[in-house]
Amino acid sequence: MNEQEKKSYLTRYHEAKEKGVPFFPDIIFKDVIVSLLVFVLLIALARVVGVPLEARADPADTNYTPRPEWYFMFLFQLLKYFPGNLEVIGVMVIPTLMILLLLVLPYIDRSPKRHYMNRPWASLAALAVVGGIATLTVLAVLEAPPPQVTAGADQAALLYSKNCSNCHGPSIDVPPGTDLHQLIAGGKHAGMPAWGGDLSTDEIDALAGFIVSPKGSALYTSQCGSCHELTVLAAGNPLELQRVLDQGPDYPPHTGVQVQRWSDTLSVSERNALLNFLAAPDGQRLFAVNCAGCHGHGVVFSGDEKQLRTLIADGGQHLAMPAWRGTLTEGDLVTLAAYVVDPAATPAGQTLFEQHCSTCHGDHVPASPDKDTARKVIATGGGHVTMPVWGTVLTPEQLDALVTYTLAAGQGGGAAAGGQLYAQNCSPCHGQFGEGGPNPTRAGDIIAPISSAEFLKTRDDITLRAIISQGQPNFGMSPFGAANGGPLSDDEVDAVVSFMRSWEANPPVELPTEVAQAQAAALTGDQLFTNVCSRCHGPLGEGGIGPALNTPAFQAKYDDQALYDLISKGHAASQMIAWGEVLTTEQIQQLVRYVRALQPGQDPMTFSGAVLPLLQEKCAVCHAADIKLGGWDSSSYKAVMTTGDNSPVVVPGDVSASLLAQKVLGTHTQGKIMPPSGKMTAWNIQLITDWIAAGAPDN
Amino acid sequence: MDTKLGNYLDERFGWRGVWAAIFLRKIPHVNWLYTLGSATLFVATLQIVTGILLTMYYVPTPDHAYDSVTYITTQLPAGWFIRGLHHWGASAMVVLTVLHLLRVFFYGAYKYPREVTWSTGVLLLLVVVGFGFTGYLLPWDQKAFWATTVGTRIIAVAPGIGPWLLRVARGGDELSAVTLARFFGVHVWVLPAALLALLLIHMYLVIRNGISAVPERKE
Repeated sequence: MNEQEKKSYLTRYHEAKEKGVPFFPDIIFKDVIVSLLVFVLLIALARVVGVPLEARADPADTNYTPRPEWYFMFLFQLLKYFPGNLEVIGVMVIPTLMILLLLVLPYIDRSPKRHYMNRPWASLAALAVVGGIATLTVLAVLEAPPPQVTAGADQAALLYSKNCSNCHGPSIDVPPGTDLHQLIAGGKHAGMPAWGGDLSTDEIDALAGFIVSPKGSALYTSQCGSCHELTVLAAGNPLELQRVLDQGPDYPPHTGVQVQRWSDTLSVSERNALLNFLAAPDGQRLFAVNCAGCHGHGVVFSGDEKQLRTLIADGGQHLAMPAWRGTLTEGDLVTLAAYVVDPAATPAGQTLFEQHCSTCHGDHVPASPDKDTARKVIATGGGHVTMPVWGTVLTPEQLDALVTYTLAAGQGGGAAAGGQLYAQNCSPCHGQFGEGGPNPTRAGDIIAPISSAEFLKTRDDITLRAIISQGQPNFGMSPFGAANGGPLSDDEVDAVVSFMRSWEANPPVELPTEVAQAQAAALTGDQLFTNVCSRCHGPLGEGGIGPALNTPAFQAKYDDQALYDLISKGHAASQMIAWGEVLTTEQIQQLVRYVRALQPGQDPMTFSGAVLPLLQEKCAVCHAADIKLGGWDSSSYKAVMTTGDNSPVVVPGDVSASLLAQKVLGTHTQGKIMPPSGKMTAWNIQLITDWIAAGAPDN
Repeated sequence: MDTKLGNYLDERFGWRGVWAAIFLRKIPHVNWLYTLGSATLFVATLQIVTGILLTMYYVPTPDHAYDSVTYITTQLPAGWFIRGLHHWGASAMVVLTVLHLLRVFFYGAYKYPREVTWSTGVLLLLVVVGFGFTGYLLPWDQKAFWATTVGTRIIAVAPGIGPWLLRVARGGDELSAVTLARFFGVHVWVLPAALLALLLIHMYLVIRNGISAVPERKE
């Protein structure tokens, strides 16, 4: 606008003004009418709708779905379109730019045109912004009500609609390999609370499965839901799940149940969807179920992602057996091939085998169907049997997740593994977030938080390691280090320490002390036992890390005085600390009476009750009916006693002659100790040796 | 007002000049959309009055905030009415301010010589939104607590200074008594002061430059 335009505007405005009316009373009359209308509307709203006041604020209730005031809804909706790192654009950049643009609008738009039809671009842009904001607001209101799902239908969908859909809408797209379980349990970006405190592990698994595979959830409801509860199968063992889907009605536990032959009725993609739902592609848990049995907490893998993927997918084919083509003559190759197909018929092969192969293969001759295959394998290398071919077991999504996790875990150190160990070993007394609480071993005593900055900053790693490893017997903390009779190896103690250190960067919420103090009171014998003893001896005294207390054998072995001394003085070189330092004489007497009154339990050496479950847990990954490494199958009494390349692996009554005992004790000279992830606890080993010593009965 | 008292006061206050400047000024022929500004001013006044009444009973601490709001709503005579007006008035403020802004935009009324009037108006819109955001926490119910938790967490997204801003807004890492005290302070002291200052400038400029005429298609 130049000076002349300004002048002409002022002149015209002056004319319009002179022709106009005085503010009072003409204009103000209209103003008062409108203001009164607004006032009446407000009164009506206050009277008819009122002001909703919800329940008092509860900072602990993370289940609450936050809803902003309606005029912020469009921003809330806008946020949804800017996930992850882009968030800053949605919440900062766009609003700031809009406000700045509004503020400086008159200094940018200096044209003298005023009528909206005479400046179409500005008018259209403004209409677009207004329309956009209105659309976003409407969308936010429409998407907010959770999709209604009736109870009894898809349970996972119900969980989702209750907990997630308010913010995330009807579905969430996640990149492959996202560790959903951890993300849901721990919370993540702005506005996403940690659900770990409100949902059970199984529920989080079900949610993770549903998010990745809603179709799988629906299939689950139609195929399995009438017999199985949702949370029982979620996060199942993929090997077992694959077996169930393959065998359908032939799967032993399904005998006599009317189930479909899923290998025929479901397409491959449907079966994948179902498997993805049941074992959500969540690297950490897949690793725990599938790999930890042999690889422990993690594999340090230095190659790239592609190599690792091939390696896991091909499984057995991976271990690098050298290509013998260059080393051996063609004649030797043929002889060796003939030997592995039929050792008895090729005595010449034995020398060659001992020279070249037994360093790795021991005295186990790998089986081969025919000479040509054998010759090719030996000549070109590769070929190994100890790792299942995961490519046929896992769905592509699960494989992605496992690869991502293994790579990350190899680089990230022990904090993730430490978290699991912490949950198992430490959280019962120290709380899930190290917040402490009432000391279960001493009434009226409070365990201070160990996740506070104050605690962590004043203790170095060596101190923390020492406390975990040696325990603090005078405060009622058992030693946890293997060297002191506890369940954790040095590596595992380190992992727990590094997990605790992760609190420093990311401090968890602390419980106010009055919450923690609420429970401390005088304890009954029952409570004492639950708090003090059941951690190791089981809630019913049936045994665990420590021996069973409810067996006739145990009860006969100690009289009351001996039992008292045992509790009071503890056991050297075991996790049993001298509780006399912590408990009063009266409390120990209470405990003795309680132990005496325990319901007599099963003989601990029962095969079906104790040994078989242990074998299932520790051995079945490699020694199952259809994998049978080393020819041994641990799935039933008959199989345990009769199968194996060196059968029998169990000599009833003779522990030292039984290969099974030698393997778990580590006294066998050939090959590794079993399970490959490390020695089982003393109590577990004793379970097996006791059972063998008792004549390996099938009971 | 042509009485002796009127003359007496005029000699001392000069109110006739003020009255003429504000109420007898000529306005071009305008339509009903021009009432949005004064409707906004009316609701702002209503908010100030009801807000002052509410502060007499409201206690800005986590222990008592919820109880005092419950008391205002259920025990205090006409308390529900005052709180209802204040609550719905907040929404009305946002709606009326935005409509007023749109009227000014589409009539090109932000142009010469009313540029600064427009800018103060935009600042007033921000103040109104700030009132809404801080006031939402004060009842200290579930909705208040969690919406503010999420709302303040958004600040932390700002690159670099985000976490610091978040601590300033909350008065700590978590939503707490300090947050409530800060929001209350901002809602009843800082923002009203800003509102009055901006409003005075805005109104002065409106009177000084006159109310814009409805623009003509042929100009």
